[in-house]
Amino acid sequence: MKSIKGETYEVHLDEGGSTIYFKGALRLSGEQDYAPILDLLKETINHPSADSVLDLRELDFLNSSGITMFSRFVIEARGRVSMSVTILASESIPWHARSLKNLQRLMPSLNIRLT
Amino acid sequence: MMTNQTLGQYREDLGERREFLTLAFSPLNAPLQSRWRNNGLSADFLGEYVVTFLPSTGVVAEAWQKEIRHSVTYIANELLENSMKFHERNVDIPIRIHLELTRDHIMVSSSNGVNLEQAERYRSFVGHIVEEDPGELLVKQLEANGADHNSNTSALGLLTIISDYHGEVGWQFEVDKANPEILTVTTRVVLPLKNLTGEQA
Repeated sequence: MKSIKGETYEVHLDEGGSTIYFKGALRLSGEQDYAPILDLLKETINHPSADSVLDLRELDFLNSSGITMFSRFVIEARGRVSMSVTILASESIPWHARSLKNLQRLMPSLNIRLT
Repeated sequence: MMTNQTLGQYREDLGERREFLTLAFSPLNAPLQSRWRNNGLSADFLGEYVVTFLPSTGVVAEAWQKEIRHSVTYIANELLENSMKFHERNVDIPIRIHLELTRDHIMVSSSNGVNLEQAERYRSFVGHIVEEDPGELLVKQLEANGADHNSNTSALGLLTIISDYHGEVGWQFEVDKANPEILTVTTRVVLPLKNLTGEQA
């Protein structure tokens, strides 16, 4: 299992390589700092046999540079015709309902499951 | 030559002040990275601090508090990140983050010193925000950031504050009395309390 850990966050990719889990608070300072996480995210779209799932249900905080990272991922994923992407989100985390819709505007087929 | 100016919704009439708090940081030449952790700590603190003054009993009040805590933390974090990134390092103007609570509003503002060139760039960017639809601009900016890896992501913070958090944003540019080559830029965000979850406690 591949993972990246910081003082306030944890990201890990499951064994199958198609589901990625985010936990904690992500407020890195910009593109360079987010690059390793973006690379891990992109691994989920390198498995054409399975759809890509981003589990954000424990990601309590994300700064705008983090939103940029997710939008870069979504822009890359939408270019692949057979690719489906699902985001698992939580109603109890305020930023999910507020900001995830922006990603859907970039990729209308993006499936956001808010529970 | 730059003159004093306000842009956007720079409101002075928020009513009687109930509570306020200011944090000020010395404009050190310390690397940004070593300052970064403090942005999160300060932003979390402002969010926790402001809700201590709000009603806290009942399910509705709890949900309302949670939204406010998060909104204030997100906004303070974005404003502070921008101020830390763009402050002019060689002048003695502190970076400040300020929180104010009135009966109907919460205001969060940050200020920092900038040189003339930076002030002009920021003012022209602000001009765009003021004239265009923030939701459209936000998507355009996300597309631009996706295509150009050198693009300026600080724009996105302000656009999310306006579009996702419904903050009224105003800017003030003030020429330094001692040095006309330097300005203090204040970015001020006002959240009407009743809009945060659709009702007021």
